[in-house]
Amino acid sequence: MPLKIEYNDWAGRLDSSVSAVFETMLARSCSPTEKMGGIVQPVSAKILFSGAIDGEFVLYASRSVAQVTAEALLGQVAGADDPMIEDAMGELCNMIAGDWKSKLETEQATCAISSPMVSKIDGGAEGLTSGDGFHRFYSFEGNVFGVQMAL
Amino acid sequence: MRALIIDDSAVMRKVVERALRQSGIDFTEVLQASNGEEALEALRGDAANKLNLIVSDINMPVMDGLQFLETRRDQNLAPGVPVVMITTEGSEPFVLRAIAAGARGYICKPFTAEQVKERVIPLLGAA
Repeated sequence: MPLKIEYNDWAGRLDSSVSAVFETMLARSCSPTEKMGGIVQPVSAKILFSGAIDGEFVLYASRSVAQVTAEALLGQVAGADDPMIEDAMGELCNMIAGDWKSKLETEQATCAISSPMVSKIDGGAEGLTSGDGFHRFYSFEGNVFGVQMAL
Repeated sequence: MRALIIDDSAVMRKVVERALRQSGIDFTEVLQASNGEEALEALRGDAANKLNLIVSDINMPVMDGLQFLETRRDQNLAPGVPVVMITTEGSEPFVLRAIAAGARGYICKPFTAEQVKERVIPLLGAA
């Protein structure tokens, strides 16, 4: 039977993983924030957990924030329509979810994670996520993005 | 020196290539493949004789990094070229399976250029 994760454990591990990925891969400090404003042209990336944990991990942001994030990861400027933006969001999602998984107890950490699935949504962020699970927001240099986990 | 980077993400191929070039080793050519099957095709061709290093992700479509390692071992393709895995899969079963299939190094994402340098330089010195 899949194991359950308590919120306090989930949030603390997630904060640590987001911080580690941003500091290591983007050389940026990133910390939790209370909320995010409207999401314009959202880009979202999703990872599925299966096995010892069943659930999903979604990273989402406005396209402008995703573009800044991709540029920080790549170390070069990306055009507004550059497919590297979606690719970078997928990889960040993958790395944060993977780092979060690595902090779990041994049995839980054996769960499998899928390759990232990335989508662009026209218009607002309605329908971006299912609404289930935990939401948490993060900010680096004034750029805010969200993480949703449903376990 | 010549390297082959295997990752389905073009972003990660760029990031890994940058880390390799920051290691201080003079890589004259860095080949790329987006999955294990493409990499095996490269090893069946001229690339096998030119490579000094292979760096591979694990989670990839078509053929993942572990299947790549096992097929390469079974078909004896470029057997002397060291393979370093760079992946988010850091749990023990993945590490053990990779080492059993011939991986010489294992780096978990997120990673620093310094970690790549520390793993790669000893392998190239022994190659």
